[in-house]
Amino acid sequence: MTTSANKSIRAQSQTSAPDVAEENVVRVRGLVKRYRDGTAANRGIDLNVRRGEVVSILGPNGAGKTTFLRQLTTELKPTSGSVEIFGVNAVAEPESAKRMMGITPQEGGVFETLTVLEHFELFARFKGLRRREARLAAFDVADELGLGAEINKRVGHLSGGQRRRILIGLALLGRPPLLILDEPTTGLDPASRQTVWKVIRHVVAEGSTVIFSTHYMEEAERLSDRIGIIESGRLAAFDTLDKLFARLERSYRVEFSDPFDPLVEKSVRYFATFAEAQEHTASEQLSEYSIARASLEDIYFALTGERFVKAEEGEGA
Amino acid sequence: MKRITDILCVFRIHLARLRREAGPFVLAALIFPTAMYLFAVAVSGAEEISDEKRLRFLAGSIVFSLSMTSISWLGYLLLENRFTGRLKLFATLPLAPSSYIFGVIIFALAQAALGTTTLLIVARALGVRANVSIASLSLVVLLTMLCLCGLSVSIAARARSFSEGSLLTDSLGAGLVFLAPVYYSAQAMPAALSSVSKWLPTSFAASGVQTALTGNFQAGTELLALALMTLMTLSLGFRLMRWREE
Ligand SMILES: Nc1ncnc2c1ncn2[C@@H]1O[C@H](COP(=O)(O)OP(=O)(O)OP(=O)(O)O)[C@@H](O)[C@H]1O
Ligand SMILES: [Mg+2]
Repeated sequence: MTTSANKSIRAQSQTSAPDVAEENVVRVRGLVKRYRDGTAANRGIDLNVRRGEVVSILGPNGAGKTTFLRQLTTELKPTSGSVEIFGVNAVAEPESAKRMMGITPQEGGVFETLTVLEHFELFARFKGLRRREARLAAFDVADELGLGAEINKRVGHLSGGQRRRILIGLALLGRPPLLILDEPTTGLDPASRQTVWKVIRHVVAEGSTVIFSTHYMEEAERLSDRIGIIESGRLAAFDTLDKLFARLERSYRVEFSDPFDPLVEKSVRYFATFAEAQEHTASEQLSEYSIARASLEDIYFALTGERFVKAEEGEGA
Repeated sequence: MKRITDILCVFRIHLARLRREAGPFVLAALIFPTAMYLFAVAVSGAEEISDEKRLRFLAGSIVFSLSMTSISWLGYLLLENRFTGRLKLFATLPLAPSSYIFGVIIFALAQAALGTTTLLIVARALGVRANVSIASLSLVVLLTMLCLCGLSVSIAARARSFSEGSLLTDSLGAGLVFLAPVYYSAQAMPAALSSVSKWLPTSFAASGVQTALTGNFQAGTELLALALMTLMTLSLGFRLMRWREE
């Protein structure tokens, strides 16, 4: 059995942003990455990101999100296709492109013998800040990310989540106009995650553009202007949340459990209207159920074909 | 200007490591070479060991120290940077790979200066009478370090795993010294080995250091050979060191 919502997605594999009007700060065309061992991790991705936008990239493990982001950040050479960052050809001029980017890799190591202050300060210097500015930026970023109390602590003595915040902080130094963050909040506690959200909103308010990947639907919903879903190396969707919802023909979700065997996994069915959903619960004499609007998670599962629900198709398929 | 700042920042990052974890450096660059000097003197057999021999052993220990600093210890740090994801942080910056290399080379040179000076002081305390030509010694130490650093940069850039890389740097660091006639004379070597050993950078280095310890300046073919090797290993290092993966 496969997801029922899957089939209710209107045939529409690519969408979005016409190349006109708004200024595109990121332009990606026909991006293909085939690793040496033959793995085709990105299979032709086209995408534009406008100035001041927050774009989140979702997709299952191994879908190609990191591969995609690492080509934007120039860490990985594309097999073919083009990447432009603020009009600079990032493939040909990686250093110029990197001057405009703050980057947090999915997995980066920190220099453990430096203190938090030294780490931020030295990396701010790499970004071209003068000594005084670098020090101020180091304190600012530490405060913003809730690391103020740890500023003189060695990075090697920090917890996993605190180190993760160091990596985010390094990207923020020098307030680059484009932030590219690969799973920035993975491993963070709920409060720290919200701190990061606040920081992202703040830099966007100051005019920066942000592209980040995440496995948290809530994070994507709350922060992004547009959401991209990568599936098997292709951009399966790239749109605003509203437009993604509009793609679901049946956007009411009934979740119910078997009253005689409550331990069995819950079943899910989708319906076009609330009335249809109610009708179903009545006709099936369901006693324990919930009806809700479909969420980003439903769209995600529909597009990535990841959820195998127990229920058959809903009415009106 | 930005480039100099970058190089100095790379240097400072590594210096912090040395300041807070000096143990490996002290062991590799000072204690081992001093112990090797004492060992060589002890097993040399002669009742009254000649000054010439003492100087040769001291030159050997200095080269040993340089090799440990530039290949074993620096190689280890570079491999660690790469395989623990720290290099990824550098890769996110508008930083040229060559600035990274220059930064770590300056770091290695600083340690070489410290190590060599300390060994000379220790040797004097042990009664070695050297008449050091500072200019000559500095030049040989500089060339030796650059040459060996080029090797460790290349290994660290290309090794497929941490263990492969550190096995290589460890065996090269020690092997290059023990294959060179530093603690024994070239004549004492089996013929097959001595034809290899003649061409090792450490052999040229040992001979250059020994000359410098007698107050002479060694120009000529040996220094030229060392300079050529330096050119080769460094250009290889600069070529192989790339942020971007294929
Ligand atoms: N260096 C590499 N060599 C070969 N294959 C690779 C390499 N890096 C990644 N891959 C493969 O490319 C595909 C995409 O990997 P990628 O890291 O981009 O996924 P991802 O979407 O970021 O996953 P996750 O959510 O787990 O971070 C995977 O199949 C992975 O095995
Ligand atoms: Mg990833």
